[in-house]
Amino acid sequence: MTTIRRFCCNDLLRFASVNLDHLTETFNMSFYMTYLARWPDYFHVAEAPGNRIMGYIMGKVEGQGESWHGHVTAVTVSPEYRRQQLAKKLMNLLEDISDKIDKAYFVDLFVRASNTPAIKMYEKLGYVIYRRVLRYYSGEEDGLDMRKALSRDVEKKSIIPLKRPVTPDELEYD
Amino acid sequence: MASKFGLAGGIPERRVRPIWDAIDSRQFKNALKHCTALLSKYPNSPYALALKALILERMGKAEEALSVCLNAKDQLYTNDSVLIDDLTLSTLQIVFQRLDHLDMATSCYEYACGKFPNSLELMMGLFNCYVREYSFVKQQQIAIKMYKVVGEERFLLWAVCSIQLQVFCGNGGEKLLLLAEGLLKKHIASHSLHEPEALSVYISLLERQSKFGDALEILAGKLGSLIMIEVDRLRLQGRLLARAGDYSAAADILQKVLELCPDDWEYFLHYLGCLLDDGSSFFLGNGGNSIYPPKHVGCKNLDLPDEVFDTRISRASVFVEKLMAECDNASIRSPHLANLEIQKRKLIYGKGDPGKLVEELMQYFSRFGHLACFTSDVEAFLLFLDDPNKSEVLEKLKGCELTSSSQTKALGQAITIFKVENLIGNMFSLPVCELEGLAVRMADMYCKNLPVSKDLDLQENMHGEELLSMACNVLVQLFWRTRNVGYLLESIMILEFGLTIRRYTWQYKILLLHLYSYWNCLPVAYDWYKSLDVKNILLETVSHHILPQMLASPLWSDLNDLLRDYLKFMDDHFRESADLTFLAYRHRNYSKVIEFVQFKERLQRSSQYLVAKIEAPILQLKQNANSIQEEEIKQTEENVLKNIEKRSLLPRMIYLSIHCASSSLKEHTEANGSAFDPKLSLELKVLLERYARILGFPFQDAIELVLGVSSGQKPSEALSSDLIGWINFVVFLNAWNLNSREIGFSNNDKPRPSTWHLVNSLLKKYIIEKMRSTGPLLSSPGGDLPMLVQLVTEPLSWHSLIIQSSVRSSLPSGKKKKKGGVTEQANSHHSHEIQDSIQSLCDAIKEVTEWLSAQINKLDDVKFETIFSLLQVNGEGQGPGRILHMFENLISSVDNTALGDRISQALQSWDAVEVARKVGAGQSSVLSQFLRICESKIKSLQALRTHL
Repeated sequence: MTTIRRFCCNDLLRFASVNLDHLTETFNMSFYMTYLARWPDYFHVAEAPGNRIMGYIMGKVEGQGESWHGHVTAVTVSPEYRRQQLAKKLMNLLEDISDKIDKAYFVDLFVRASNTPAIKMYEKLGYVIYRRVLRYYSGEEDGLDMRKALSRDVEKKSIIPLKRPVTPDELEYD
Repeated sequence: MASKFGLAGGIPERRVRPIWDAIDSRQFKNALKHCTALLSKYPNSPYALALKALILERMGKAEEALSVCLNAKDQLYTNDSVLIDDLTLSTLQIVFQRLDHLDMATSCYEYACGKFPNSLELMMGLFNCYVREYSFVKQQQIAIKMYKVVGEERFLLWAVCSIQLQVFCGNGGEKLLLLAEGLLKKHIASHSLHEPEALSVYISLLERQSKFGDALEILAGKLGSLIMIEVDRLRLQGRLLARAGDYSAAADILQKVLELCPDDWEYFLHYLGCLLDDGSSFFLGNGGNSIYPPKHVGCKNLDLPDEVFDTRISRASVFVEKLMAECDNASIRSPHLANLEIQKRKLIYGKGDPGKLVEELMQYFSRFGHLACFTSDVEAFLLFLDDPNKSEVLEKLKGCELTSSSQTKALGQAITIFKVENLIGNMFSLPVCELEGLAVRMADMYCKNLPVSKDLDLQENMHGEELLSMACNVLVQLFWRTRNVGYLLESIMILEFGLTIRRYTWQYKILLLHLYSYWNCLPVAYDWYKSLDVKNILLETVSHHILPQMLASPLWSDLNDLLRDYLKFMDDHFRESADLTFLAYRHRNYSKVIEFVQFKERLQRSSQYLVAKIEAPILQLKQNANSIQEEEIKQTEENVLKNIEKRSLLPRMIYLSIHCASSSLKEHTEANGSAFDPKLSLELKVLLERYARILGFPFQDAIELVLGVSSGQKPSEALSSDLIGWINFVVFLNAWNLNSREIGFSNNDKPRPSTWHLVNSLLKKYIIEKMRSTGPLLSSPGGDLPMLVQLVTEPLSWHSLIIQSSVRSSLPSGKKKKKGGVTEQANSHHSHEIQDSIQSLCDAIKEVTEWLSAQINKLDDVKFETIFSLLQVNGEGQGPGRILHMFENLISSVDNTALGDRISQALQSWDAVEVARKVGAGQSSVLSQFLRICESKIKSLQALRTHL
């Protein structure tokens, strides 16, 4: 029961029940609004009957040449609506927009190396671990850069795993 | 920072680079050094000056920065030989903005644009200035100018957005939209449109003017292909058709939407509405003020002929059947719920059978009953049924064999049944013993199902977490019904227990913080609040859980943090919002431009923001109420705002009262020797009249009422509707009367007490009354403690400020020599009044401090046994404590293999004694902080007495 539509500012006033979850970060306003101002097609919310917020996804598209790609900044689903494949739906939507509208080569995301449940989920959705980023999270925990190739990357070059880990300052994008 | 031809602001880039680098690495001293060197070579360069101002501002030297900026501005205006470029102006703009002088940045750009009328860069800068100032008309004018110069689509759209803003957020009339439409039409005729966002602006413009036909035509034409996602175009088309009243065509299109997105519930409702010639669902949420759309949608067009209704509704049924047959995805719920909606519509049209709806509900339960969202999915349908049918649903649910293959599913279904029971209000009619049994069953189910969560990561939600929240709700209800504090303690215990097992469950924390607040354990409540990590926009949407209690508490330093963080967040957003709006313009996401401006306006109207704006200065006054600092008070005057008008009057009334009090002795001369302005007294009277009106009485009647209560002719409850408001009124009334002497004491046959006496008697009366009714905190949750705190920290504090001011003015000023006679007599009478008042206040507070000390001692002596004795199961095995007992049994027989290490260890760490101790310590801490406040009041009052 998912009405998926573009995220709008008023949703910021309604997503508390999703964001109070301790794994969901509440960013500052300019962060959300910069995403809304620049990549509104990459910021979607799912609603249930009674217009309850089930979850949302935010992301962007960036890069040059063959590293032109979609990026998932955050995807979260309220506990009440988990185990219903909602995250998958939201991810597919973002992949679709990256693929068909923006003609990107791949989609990527970062995840805490310790967050096994999430890593498993992304693997099920077709993502592979492209590289490890040392001490990516607050200078402490390693992050994993996971990628999924899109149709434009015919030979799937973008997802060939790197042999060695990188440090955060080696990353091309934030 | 950009540069052209190696020049930056007319200066070779290599000379400027070291300054940029130093600023970027925050070495401002170094930057200033480089900048001074640069200025010695280019003393009149506005860019060099702008850099210097920027550095000074960053160093915190606001005044110097402003004067350098103004110098730069002068150079720009007067020196024809200097270069004017966007780099210079945008640097100045940054500094001006940070110094709160947006207007000056704007005039610089205006001047530059006048001088170089065709510079696109400068015009964009000027547009940006107007965006920051929310000057929609000027935005429109400059955008049109840019459009004329370069003919680009985006500038036209900037102008169109600016026009829309005038209509939506300014005072522009709707007919302006016609102008915007004309501009777009003309442009499209010659250049067409190239951006999807431009098209959606165009269509929204037409839609707003109800030109649905025109909008549909455009969508069907070549421009329609700008919307690249098929289903988005269909959604738009369906909406336009429905709004145009062409329901049959709309239904056809919406059917296609559902074929592509079978799980889209919102569009199913639109579809069904259109089938029944009712497009009202599309009008919801448009321009509404609530962020939550109404839960129940009324239906229109109930007079469809029978056979038409039958055909249409069976078309819906057939279509839904088809959707269900086609989608193989087990997580798609919408078509199944659609059957319930169809039955509901039949009932609305008088053609249904509630039994069928119940049947569909049971079907839905058998498919999705295990999901946590089942109850919220069917809420609207459950509430639509009448009571006998509701009970039938519950009976049927309870009768269901929960034979689900998996334990988690069976658990989910069982939880759902509890939730349904709660939703239909069944619990209110259950007898106490059954209600208690219900709570016990919930907790028991939680315990028994712990093994299901054995392999879950700590990060993941455990199965059955909701059971403890629900059991807690039942226990709270038991507390309300029986007034047995044991139930309250137990409700706290089970949530604490749940958090011991998994510390992340925010739902428990929110319940707990309310329960602790209610039991006067505010420090513990605040700790739980902090553990929620409420920040950014959540400050606006979550902090209401704690703010009201904190406002009436003695925890001033925590309250101060709370208010400061919240106001900082809001004010920061208001400051940066325009920059983000400009970002949306630049990235051509025009719909977001309108949205951002409207969102900022919505946040500015937040009532919590208004409350915080008013309460922050009042808190400061409370904290400083032991000594007068007039300057501070003056700054805290607030705009008058209807809903919190009364609170907003306070700072001004305190200020005026102090002045009136200080002029009460020396005729029209204040303590500092300056002449007293009689206007102040008049103003105070006006405010008193207004204040009385807010309290619901004409001024004279309000005076009669307080005199009546004071003399015992009227009951003390007469003021209880807004006690703090009334006593504040009395305090300010006295201050005003000190100067005006309008409330006479012997004009009637009955002699009246002085207004001093009025204040003394009422303050003392209510302080003692509230103290007695507060009772021992442990055994009387709720209670009047917050009221008592407010009496002491508000009216009593304001009154002591007034005394202070009077005392100061009665001190010999030294310069003037006092003459004897009438004045001296009056003065001596006056100083008696002050003495009496001080004495009376001290007596009252002393009683409070004694009571507080006794309470604190008692709490410190309280053994956890005393608290535990609240949990007493009676001979029949009933009463609070059964669940706690269950927990203890669980812990004593922990089975590591069944529960897994994590849960077993968590269980072992459970310590009920610690929770009991926390309750005692939390209450004791609130009382101690209040005691400190009272003691400092006594001290400052006694110090005043020595001056007399």
